Amino acid sequence: MLQQILKKIISTGVGKWRFVAAAAGLSIALLLILSAVQIQANYHELLYGASNQDSIANFLVINKKIDGNNTSNTLSDQDINKLKSQFFVETIGQLTSSRFKVSAQSPSERFPFYTDLFFESVPNEFIDVQSDDWTWKEGSTNIPMIIPNQFLDLYNFGFAPSQNLIQLTQSMVMALPVVINIHRNGQIIPYTGRVVGFSDRISSVLVPQNFLDWANRQFGFQQAGETSRVVIRTKDPGNPALVQYLKENDLVTNADKTRFSKYRQIVNAVVSASWITGAIMLMFALLVLSLFIQLTISSTKKEIGLLVTLGASPKQLQQFLLKQFLPLNLVITFACLLNIAVLQRWVQKELATQNMLVNPWISMYTVIAALSIVVVLWWVNVRTIKKYISLNAR
Amino acid sequence: MEIVLENLVPIPLKEKFSKRTSAVWNTKVLFSQGEKIQIQAPSGTGKTTLIHLIYKLRHDYEGQVLYDAKPLTEIKNGELADTRQKKISIIFQDLRLFENLTARENIELKRVLTAPIYDASVIDEMASRLGISHILHQKAGVCSYGEQQRIAIVRALVQPFNWLLMDEPFSHLDRENIEKAASLIAEECNKRQAGLLITDLEADTHFNYTKRYQL
Repeated sequence: MLQQILKKIISTGVGKWRFVAAAAGLSIALLLILSAVQIQANYHELLYGASNQDSIANFLVINKKIDGNNTSNTLSDQDINKLKSQFFVETIGQLTSSRFKVSAQSPSERFPFYTDLFFESVPNEFIDVQSDDWTWKEGSTNIPMIIPNQFLDLYNFGFAPSQNLIQLTQSMVMALPVVINIHRNGQIIPYTGRVVGFSDRISSVLVPQNFLDWANRQFGFQQAGETSRVVIRTKDPGNPALVQYLKENDLVTNADKTRFSKYRQIVNAVVSASWITGAIMLMFALLVLSLFIQLTISSTKKEIGLLVTLGASPKQLQQFLLKQFLPLNLVITFACLLNIAVLQRWVQKELATQNMLVNPWISMYTVIAALSIVVVLWWVNVRTIKKYISLNAR
Repeated sequence: MEIVLENLVPIPLKEKFSKRTSAVWNTKVLFSQGEKIQIQAPSGTGKTTLIHLIYKLRHDYEGQVLYDAKPLTEIKNGELADTRQKKISIIFQDLRLFENLTARENIELKRVLTAPIYDASVIDEMASRLGISHILHQKAGVCSYGEQQRIAIVRALVQPFNWLLMDEPFSHLDRENIEKAASLIAEECNKRQAGLLITDLEADTHFNYTKRYQL
């Protein structure tokens, strides 16, 4: 009953339109800022989400830029440690190269070929080929190999047509054993090599790490040299910081993996702008809300004064006013969240047609942002009401 | 509840009362619980001011007002509201009703401001005794001054109190209505064993006064 009477006394002071305008301002601002959070979340998911990951994109082979001015283009331990300490580098693997002479030839007279060769190895976690045959035990004369996909492409589309040779499928290549000759002091030690997979990630002839370590000890004619290439795993090869770092340190990698860096910077700027706009709008909305409360209180100054004279406590009035404003804030926040949830559904469907996958539900961060805003709104309400009631209650 | 005035004088009247003595101003006065006190004085000698000082509506005074030995200056917002809800009721000379509320709402407001001691039906009983039942649904602003005065009287009587302050409460009532109102007020005060303090222009016999003061 008291609430009804107070409502009748106090709500007569402010016009309906002012109330609607204040509520509309708050709604728009909330919608903007929560959308900004949701856009940020979607953007993040598109960049880093598991379903949008491309297996090649996360691994970069990095080496010194060869410009003809330096006699050595190897990476020192210091270079590698520095690279390892960068935030965008998750793990780093060194490519070990063979320090002995090796050649390969066909075992069959029907497809005669001979080539000098080299081997490299890299820790298994950096290899994109899954194969049970990718093992080597000491004493075995069979050497599994992984060759770049590009090799096969070069052969099939360049070499084979020009030499009138047949084109080879991956399985044909994997079925063909190759004779591998390792040279030591004029001696030739034969091994059998077999291609067990094709890599898109590392363009080199890879053999298992333990084989190469063993072979380097066994046949190597020079001391372990410095590393010339490393492979890193990174969450985001388009990261502008990564591109910048490589540039500053005269390092190079496969350029097309990092070319998105420039677009990313532009999109980043746009997303930040939406973020800042939303934040500024929210600040204005809070200001409008607090002014609206002030206006309500000051336009009923006389009535509030009389209520206090009759014995209404400032606390009773504060609670009453809070009940007038806070539910509206909650309703607006909830309605905005609901709107964004509907929009998110739509965005998800639209993006899915372009093979971009985002969560159909609004992100946790959007909900957390909404809850934080409710707390801020509550605080603004309480603070304004307390301040102006005690001003008017004197 | 005991009300004490200690050398109280409103600043605007200070000069006036430095030249002559008064039974209330510039002296010590004790109002004990349950007393019926009349303050009689001609216009312009501070009757309304006294009521407002005791009710803590004005702060421009020297000396002290004490509620149960506690200076009024030390009684702040929350406690003051509690006192006005439960211990001191008032009928203003200028009535101070909410014009946009109906007569009933004006009275109801005071009844429910604290835990009600009376049922809502008591409003109807009191209104009928004072002859204002028919205007309870009307906005206070459109009622005649005499009706408004009776609304203000009922409003003051639906709350708990130890003291009832009245500032010329019957100024717009005829003799018959004054008698009805005075007997209702006396009844309600007796029920609560409450004191009353009334100001008037002339000596009257509305209540069985225990003390009379000339300002």
